[in-house]
Amino acid sequence: MTSVVQVSWAREVCRGLAALECREVVWVPDNPLSHVLRALEQDHPDIRTTIATREEEAFGIAAGLYLGGARPVVMLQSSGLGNSINALASLNVAFEIPVLMLVTMRGGDGEWNPTQQPMGRAVRPILDSLEIPHSTIESADRAEAIVRHVGQRAFATRRPGACLLARALWGEAGSGKREE
Amino acid sequence: MTRLEATRRLRVLLKTEAVIASLGHPAYDLFEAGDRAENFYLWGSMGLASSIGLGIAMAQPGRRVVVLDGDGSLLMNLGSLATIATVAPPNLLLLVWDNELYGTTGGQPTATAEGSDLAEAAQALGIRQAVTVREPEAFDKVVDRALREPGPWVIVAKVGESGTASKPPLDSPMIKRRFMAAIGCPE
Ligand SMILES: Cc1ncc(C[n+]2csc(CCOP(=O)(O)OP(=O)(O)O)c2C)c(N)n1
Ligand SMILES: [Mg+2]
Repeated sequence: MTSVVQVSWAREVCRGLAALECREVVWVPDNPLSHVLRALEQDHPDIRTTIATREEEAFGIAAGLYLGGARPVVMLQSSGLGNSINALASLNVAFEIPVLMLVTMRGGDGEWNPTQQPMGRAVRPILDSLEIPHSTIESADRAEAIVRHVGQRAFATRRPGACLLARALWGEAGSGKREE
Repeated sequence: MTRLEATRRLRVLLKTEAVIASLGHPAYDLFEAGDRAENFYLWGSMGLASSIGLGIAMAQPGRRVVVLDGDGSLLMNLGSLATIATVAPPNLLLLVWDNELYGTTGGQPTATAEGSDLAEAAQALGIRQAVTVREPEAFDKVVDRALREPGPWVIVAKVGESGTASKPPLDSPMIKRRFMAAIGCPE
């Protein structure tokens, strides 16, 4: 069983997606995202989830969903932003195709895997260089509001918008469980 | 047959289908064969035409979606075939213009020149209706069928280069708005 705290942040994030009328989530796996997927399954069975083989592909599928009238979400680990830069630049930004991004942030304090550090550090500068607004979510009680805010701005201005899910939000302090 | 000839043959069969063309020569030839509001021309995002087409097919199950990909571009996003197989949208046709070249960047050979078989790859990844065609008559027949019968379909058309000079508009946001309005979801 997952702890109450984890379920609560994931549920709050999903409430934000539902309030935005996002019914399409394209994703590439990461450990904390499994909580979001479980919350979607339990609380929002009307939201379709589609797994992609690579994050760049996920942004392509999401762009197509938008062209077809949906409000898409892409969920990825911070490392996957590196796999997606050209799609964000030449598709989302160039065509003015919005997408709401949920990015689980690796690297930083508490990171056990050194290979996650460089990309983790690069996430915000990369988003800034593409002029993609981003907000960091650090606590469950702010999660729904931040998701709504970032999503509303993204779909109103036809740009991508990113919610960065901090370790403080999803980390399993003291559980000893590793994030791959 | 050249890619432009094949694109013209496809154009004759089209009605209200959404058509997504991969960057470079596939997009140039689609424009040359006759511009229409239901066409979406990429200028970059190499590899993503099939993913964009999948997303449109998912959002618009009542509309046929045709993707015009290049062999080099599909090789850059082969995982897309696995995702298409898994989602299995019946309204998606992925047409691969296989000239065995990166034609747009000067004609460097792709892996299909050495025997890599994209239709077999599609089958191996779970798309049962995946075929290779070479002759114009066979092309017309299978495309006509794929536009009517449930897919997903992958048709790999072996084509020669066309040398098309005309290019689609560079105003990508305009193309997007025109496309969305034409397929019934104006922004
Ligand atoms: C990410 C990326 N890598 C490389 C290029 C350069 N490029 C543009 S078109 C192209 C070749 C595409 O080949 P293919 O899909 O087979 O189409 P063809 O030109 O042969 O019709 C390449 C390599 C690019 N635009 N983007
Ligand atoms: Mg080619």
